[in-house]
Amino acid sequence: GQTGKLMYVMHNSEYPLSCFALFENGPCLIADANFDILMVKLKGFFQNAKANKIESRGTRYQYCDFLVKVGTVTMGPSARGISVEVEYCPCVIANDCWNLLMEFMQSFMGNHAPGIPSVFGTKHDSIYSPADTMVQYMELFNKIRKQQQVPVAGIR
Amino acid sequence: RGRRPSPFVLRARRSMDKSGMPWHLRYLGQPEIGDKNRHALVRNCVDIATSDNLTDFLVEMGFRMDHEFVAKGHVFRKGIMKIVVYKIFRILMPGNTESIEPLSLSYLVELNVVAPAGQDVVSDDMRNFAEQLKPLVHLEKIDPKRLM
Repeated sequence: GQTGKLMYVMHNSEYPLSCFALFENGPCLIADANFDILMVKLKGFFQNAKANKIESRGTRYQYCDFLVKVGTVTMGPSARGISVEVEYCPCVIANDCWNLLMEFMQSFMGNHAPGIPSVFGTKHDSIYSPADTMVQYMELFNKIRKQQQVPVAGIR
Repeated sequence: RGRRPSPFVLRARRSMDKSGMPWHLRYLGQPEIGDKNRHALVRNCVDIATSDNLTDFLVEMGFRMDHEFVAKGHVFRKGIMKIVVYKIFRILMPGNTESIEPLSLSYLVELNVVAPAGQDVVSDDMRNFAEQLKPLVHLEKIDPKRLM
Protein backbone atom coordinates (compact mmCIF):
# COMPACT_ATOMS: atom_id res chain seq x y z
CA GLY A 1 0.00 0.00 0.00
CA GLN A 2 2.64 2.56 -0.94
CA THR A 3 2.06 5.67 -3.01
CA GLY A 4 3.06 5.22 -6.64
CA LYS A 5 6.76 4.65 -7.04
CA LEU A 6 8.27 3.89 -10.39
CA MET A 7 10.59 0.97 -10.92
CA TYR A 8 12.40 0.76 -14.21
CA VAL A 9 13.52 -2.55 -15.65
CA MET A 10 16.14 -2.02 -18.31
CA HIS A 11 18.31 -4.06 -20.59
CA ASN A 12 21.54 -3.11 -22.33
CA SER A 13 22.93 -5.02 -25.32
CA GLU A 14 26.42 -4.27 -23.99
CA TYR A 15 25.59 -6.57 -21.06
CA PRO A 16 23.41 -9.21 -22.72
CA LEU A 17 23.17 -11.55 -19.73
CA SER A 18 22.11 -8.87 -17.27
CA CYS A 19 18.98 -7.08 -16.27
CA PHE A 20 18.94 -3.71 -14.49
CA ALA A 21 16.18 -2.70 -12.11
CA LEU A 22 16.17 0.79 -10.69
CA PHE A 23 14.22 3.35 -8.76
CA GLU A 24 14.59 7.07 -9.35
CA ASN A 25 16.97 8.37 -6.64
CA GLY A 26 17.10 4.82 -5.37
CA PRO A 27 19.23 1.72 -5.70
CA CYS A 28 19.99 0.09 -9.05
CA LEU A 29 20.00 -3.68 -8.90
CA ILE A 30 22.08 -5.63 -11.40
CA ALA A 31 20.68 -9.13 -11.85
CA ASP A 32 20.84 -11.97 -14.32
CA ALA A 33 18.20 -12.52 -16.99
CA ASN A 34 15.95 -14.57 -14.66
CA PHE A 35 14.90 -11.31 -13.06
CA ASP A 36 12.49 -10.82 -15.96
CA ILE A 37 10.85 -14.14 -15.06
CA LEU A 38 10.52 -13.00 -11.45
CA MET A 39 8.83 -9.81 -12.61
CA VAL A 40 6.22 -11.92 -14.41
CA LYS A 41 5.50 -13.71 -11.10
CA LEU A 42 5.23 -10.36 -9.36
CA LYS A 43 2.96 -8.71 -11.89
CA GLY A 44 -0.10 -8.89 -9.65
CA PHE A 45 1.63 -6.55 -7.21
CA PHE A 46 2.59 -3.87 -9.69
CA GLN A 47 0.87 -1.83 -12.34
CA ASN A 48 2.71 -2.44 -15.54
CA ALA A 49 3.42 0.75 -17.44
CA LYS A 50 4.42 -1.20 -20.51
CA ALA A 51 2.83 1.40 -22.75
CA ASN A 52 5.71 3.65 -21.80
CA LYS A 53 8.39 1.31 -23.09
CA ILE A 54 11.22 3.30 -24.59
CA GLU A 55 14.25 2.12 -26.47
CA SER A 56 17.39 3.39 -28.13
CA ARG A 57 18.75 1.43 -31.02
CA GLY A 58 21.69 2.23 -33.23
CA THR A 59 25.34 1.71 -34.01
CA ARG A 60 28.27 1.04 -31.78
CA TYR A 61 31.57 2.62 -32.77
CA GLN A 62 34.99 1.90 -31.37
CA TYR A 63 37.52 4.70 -31.81
CA CYS A 64 40.85 3.87 -30.14
CA ASP A 65 40.03 3.80 -26.42
CA PHE A 66 36.62 5.34 -26.88
CA LEU A 67 33.28 3.68 -27.39
CA VAL A 68 30.58 5.78 -29.04
CA LYS A 69 27.01 4.56 -29.37
CA VAL A 70 24.59 6.61 -31.42
CA GLY A 71 20.96 5.52 -31.31
CA THR A 72 17.50 6.57 -32.32
CA VAL A 73 15.22 6.78 -29.32
CA THR A 74 11.80 5.35 -30.03
CA MET A 75 8.65 5.08 -27.99
CA GLY A 76 6.41 2.55 -29.68
CA PRO A 77 6.29 3.40 -33.36
CA SER A 78 7.45 6.99 -33.06
CA ALA A 79 11.00 8.31 -33.04
CA ARG A 80 11.53 10.82 -30.25
CA GLY A 81 15.18 11.77 -30.39
CA ILE A 82 18.77 10.71 -30.66
CA SER A 83 21.00 9.39 -27.91
CA VAL A 84 24.78 9.53 -27.87
CA GLU A 85 26.70 7.47 -25.35
CA VAL A 86 30.43 8.01 -24.98
CA GLU A 87 32.69 5.82 -22.90
CA TYR A 88 36.41 6.07 -22.25
CA CYS A 89 37.27 2.42 -21.67
CA PRO A 90 40.66 2.37 -19.89
CA CYS A 91 39.48 4.48 -16.97
CA VAL A 92 37.16 3.33 -14.18
CA ILE A 93 37.19 6.46 -12.03
CA ALA A 94 34.87 8.91 -13.74
CA ASN A 95 36.36 12.07 -12.35
CA ASP A 96 39.82 11.15 -13.57
CA CYS A 97 38.81 11.24 -17.23
CA TRP A 98 35.91 13.67 -17.38
CA ASN A 99 38.02 16.43 -18.96
CA LEU A 100 39.31 14.04 -21.60
CA LEU A 101 35.76 12.86 -22.33
CA MET A 102 34.59 16.46 -22.67
CA GLU A 103 37.37 17.29 -25.10
CA PHE A 104 36.59 14.22 -27.18
CA MET A 105 32.84 14.91 -27.22
CA GLN A 106 33.31 18.55 -28.15
CA SER A 107 35.40 17.46 -31.13
CA PHE A 108 32.29 16.01 -32.79
CA MET A 109 29.36 17.39 -30.78
CA GLY A 110 30.47 20.97 -30.31
CA ASN A 111 27.96 22.83 -28.14
CA HIS A 112 25.80 19.73 -27.72
CA ALA A 113 28.38 18.16 -25.42
CA PRO A 114 26.70 17.64 -22.04
CA GLY A 115 27.62 18.84 -18.58
CA ILE A 116 28.96 16.45 -15.97
CA PRO A 117 26.36 13.70 -15.32
CA SER A 118 24.60 13.81 -11.97
CA VAL A 119 25.60 10.21 -11.18
CA PHE A 120 29.08 11.53 -10.46
CA GLY A 121 27.70 14.15 -8.09
CA THR A 122 28.78 12.93 -4.71
CA LYS A 123 30.81 9.84 -5.51
CA HIS A 124 33.94 11.55 -6.84
CA ASP A 125 36.39 8.71 -6.68
CA SER A 126 34.22 5.63 -6.72
CA ILE A 127 34.57 3.04 -9.43
CA TYR A 128 32.24 3.45 -12.39
CA SER A 129 29.75 0.67 -12.86
CA PRO A 130 27.26 -0.31 -15.59
CA ALA A 131 24.53 0.74 -13.14
CA ASP A 132 25.76 4.33 -13.56
CA THR A 133 25.20 4.03 -17.32
CA MET A 134 21.66 2.76 -16.80
CA VAL A 135 20.80 5.61 -14.43
CA GLN A 136 21.86 8.07 -17.12
CA TYR A 137 19.73 6.32 -19.73
CA MET A 138 16.78 6.36 -17.34
CA GLU A 139 17.20 10.12 -16.85
CA LEU A 140 17.53 10.69 -20.60
CA PHE A 141 14.49 8.56 -21.39
CA ASN A 142 12.43 10.34 -18.75
CA LYS A 143 13.44 13.69 -20.22
CA ILE A 144 12.36 12.48 -23.66
CA ARG A 145 9.07 11.11 -22.31
CA LYS A 146 8.24 14.48 -20.81
CA GLN A 147 8.94 16.34 -24.06
CA GLN A 148 5.98 17.37 -26.09
CA GLN A 149 5.71 15.46 -29.30
CA VAL A 150 6.16 17.99 -32.10
CA PRO A 151 3.92 17.24 -35.10
CA VAL A 152 6.09 16.99 -38.18
CA ALA A 153 4.77 18.00 -41.54
CA GLY A 154 5.24 15.47 -44.34
CA ILE A 155 8.50 15.98 -46.20
CA ARG A 156 8.89 15.04 -49.82
CA ARG B 1 -1.76 -2.74 -4.94
CA GLY B 2 -4.51 -4.82 -3.41
CA ARG B 3 -4.18 -7.23 -0.52
CA ARG B 4 -3.14 -10.80 -1.05
CA PRO B 5 -4.18 -13.75 1.16
CA SER B 6 -0.63 -15.03 1.53
CA PRO B 7 2.45 -12.84 1.30
CA PHE B 8 4.83 -13.12 -1.59
CA VAL B 9 8.03 -14.63 -0.20
CA LEU B 10 11.50 -14.13 -1.63
CA ARG B 11 14.71 -15.55 -0.22
CA ALA B 12 17.95 -13.57 -0.36
CA ARG B 13 21.20 -15.32 0.39
CA ARG B 14 24.88 -14.43 0.36
CA SER B 15 28.13 -16.20 0.98
CA MET B 16 29.85 -15.33 4.23
CA ASP B 17 33.16 -16.93 3.48
CA LYS B 18 33.68 -15.76 -0.10
CA SER B 19 33.71 -12.02 -0.60
CA GLY B 20 32.68 -10.41 -3.88
CA MET B 21 30.32 -13.19 -4.92
CA PRO B 22 26.88 -12.22 -6.22
CA TRP B 23 23.93 -12.43 -3.88
CA HIS B 24 21.36 -15.10 -4.61
CA LEU B 25 17.67 -14.36 -4.88
CA ARG B 26 15.19 -17.20 -4.99
CA TYR B 27 11.46 -17.43 -5.53
CA LEU B 28 9.79 -20.71 -4.50
CA GLY B 29 6.22 -21.29 -5.60
CA GLN B 30 3.49 -23.29 -3.95
CA PRO B 31 3.85 -27.09 -3.92
CA GLU B 32 2.64 -28.52 -7.19
CA ILE B 33 -0.67 -30.36 -7.55
CA GLY B 34 -0.29 -34.15 -7.47
CA ASP B 35 2.44 -33.62 -4.96
CA LYS B 36 0.96 -36.04 -2.43
CA ASN B 37 2.05 -39.02 -4.52
CA ARG B 38 5.61 -37.87 -4.99
CA HIS B 39 8.41 -38.75 -2.63
CA ALA B 40 9.85 -35.25 -2.64
CA LEU B 41 8.38 -31.78 -2.36
CA VAL B 42 8.20 -30.17 -5.78
CA ARG B 43 7.98 -26.43 -6.24
CA ASN B 44 8.47 -23.96 -9.04
CA CYS B 45 11.78 -22.18 -8.57
CA VAL B 46 13.34 -19.04 -10.01
CA ASP B 47 16.98 -18.38 -9.13
CA ILE B 48 18.54 -14.99 -9.77
CA ALA B 49 22.09 -13.80 -9.15
CA THR B 50 22.23 -10.15 -8.13
CA SER B 51 24.51 -7.31 -7.09
CA ASP B 52 25.16 -6.81 -3.39
CA ASN B 53 22.53 -4.07 -2.87
CA LEU B 54 19.78 -6.70 -2.99
CA THR B 55 18.33 -6.09 0.48
CA ASP B 56 18.14 -2.29 -0.04
CA PHE B 57 16.46 -2.92 -3.35
CA LEU B 58 13.88 -5.35 -1.94
CA VAL B 59 12.95 -2.83 0.75
CA GLU B 60 12.55 -0.16 -1.95
CA MET B 61 10.25 -2.58 -3.82
CA GLY B 62 8.04 -2.80 -0.75
CA PHE B 63 9.28 -6.02 0.82
CA ARG B 64 10.11 -6.22 4.50
CA MET B 65 12.44 -8.64 6.18
CA ASP B 66 10.69 -11.52 7.86
CA HIS B 67 13.69 -13.29 9.36
CA GLU B 68 17.39 -13.81 8.86
CA PHE B 69 19.82 -16.50 9.93
CA VAL B 70 23.31 -17.81 9.35
CA ALA B 71 23.92 -21.34 8.07
CA LYS B 72 27.29 -22.99 8.51
CA GLY B 73 28.09 -26.43 7.26
CA HIS B 74 28.98 -28.50 4.23
CA VAL B 75 27.63 -29.02 0.76
CA PHE B 76 27.84 -32.41 -0.93
CA ARG B 77 26.91 -33.28 -4.50
CA LYS B 78 25.83 -36.50 -6.16
CA GLY B 79 25.02 -35.83 -9.80
CA ILE B 80 22.38 -33.14 -9.77
CA MET B 81 21.47 -33.85 -6.14
CA LYS B 82 22.72 -31.45 -3.55
CA ILE B 83 22.97 -32.47 0.09
CA VAL B 84 23.56 -29.72 2.63
CA VAL B 85 24.48 -30.52 6.23
CA TYR B 86 24.34 -27.36 8.28
CA LYS B 87 23.72 -25.75 11.60
CA ILE B 88 21.38 -22.80 11.85
CA PHE B 89 22.49 -19.79 13.90
CA ARG B 90 20.22 -17.12 15.26
CA ILE B 91 21.43 -13.54 14.66
CA LEU B 92 21.32 -11.65 17.95
CA MET B 93 21.44 -8.14 16.54
CA PRO B 94 19.75 -7.49 13.16
CA GLY B 95 22.27 -7.29 10.35
CA ASN B 96 25.21 -8.22 12.56
CA THR B 97 26.55 -11.62 11.53
CA GLU B 98 29.41 -11.52 14.04
CA SER B 99 27.13 -12.03 16.98
CA ILE B 100 25.30 -15.33 16.51
CA GLU B 101 24.24 -18.33 18.55
CA PRO B 102 23.27 -21.82 17.41
CA LEU B 103 19.55 -22.45 17.23
CA SER B 104 20.14 -26.06 18.24
CA LEU B 105 23.04 -28.44 18.74
CA SER B 106 21.84 -30.57 15.82
CA TYR B 107 22.67 -30.31 12.18
CA LEU B 108 19.94 -30.05 9.58
CA VAL B 109 20.29 -32.33 6.56
CA GLU B 110 18.64 -31.15 3.41
CA LEU B 111 18.48 -32.93 0.07
CA ASN B 112 17.44 -30.89 -2.91
CA VAL B 113 17.60 -30.86 -6.68
CA VAL B 114 17.01 -28.09 -9.17
CA ALA B 115 15.77 -29.67 -12.38
CA PRO B 116 13.85 -28.59 -15.49
CA ALA B 117 10.08 -28.63 -15.17
CA GLY B 118 8.37 -31.99 -15.58
CA GLN B 119 11.27 -34.22 -14.58
CA ASP B 120 9.32 -35.95 -11.85
CA VAL B 121 11.50 -39.07 -11.96
CA VAL B 122 14.08 -37.04 -10.04
CA SER B 123 12.03 -37.50 -6.88
CA ASP B 124 12.47 -41.26 -7.18
CA ASP B 125 16.26 -40.83 -7.33
CA MET B 126 16.03 -38.67 -4.26
CA ARG B 127 14.02 -41.29 -2.40
CA ASN B 128 16.55 -43.97 -3.33
CA PHE B 129 19.38 -41.82 -2.04
CA ALA B 130 17.49 -41.00 1.14
CA GLU B 131 17.08 -44.74 1.80
CA GLN B 132 20.88 -45.09 1.79
CA LEU B 133 21.23 -42.56 4.57
CA LYS B 134 19.07 -44.59 6.96
CA PRO B 135 19.33 -45.17 9.90
CA LEU B 136 21.91 -42.38 10.30
CA VAL B 137 19.55 -39.77 8.90
CA HIS B 138 15.84 -40.11 8.36
CA LEU B 139 14.87 -37.72 5.53
CA GLU B 140 11.23 -36.91 5.17
CA LYS B 141 9.21 -34.80 2.82
CA ILE B 142 8.07 -31.62 4.51
CA ASP B 143 4.74 -29.89 4.13
CA PRO B 144 5.48 -26.14 3.91
CA LYS B 145 1.90 -25.24 4.79
CA ARG B 146 2.29 -26.80 8.22
CA LEU B 147 5.26 -24.56 8.89
CA MET B 148 3.78 -21.22 7.82
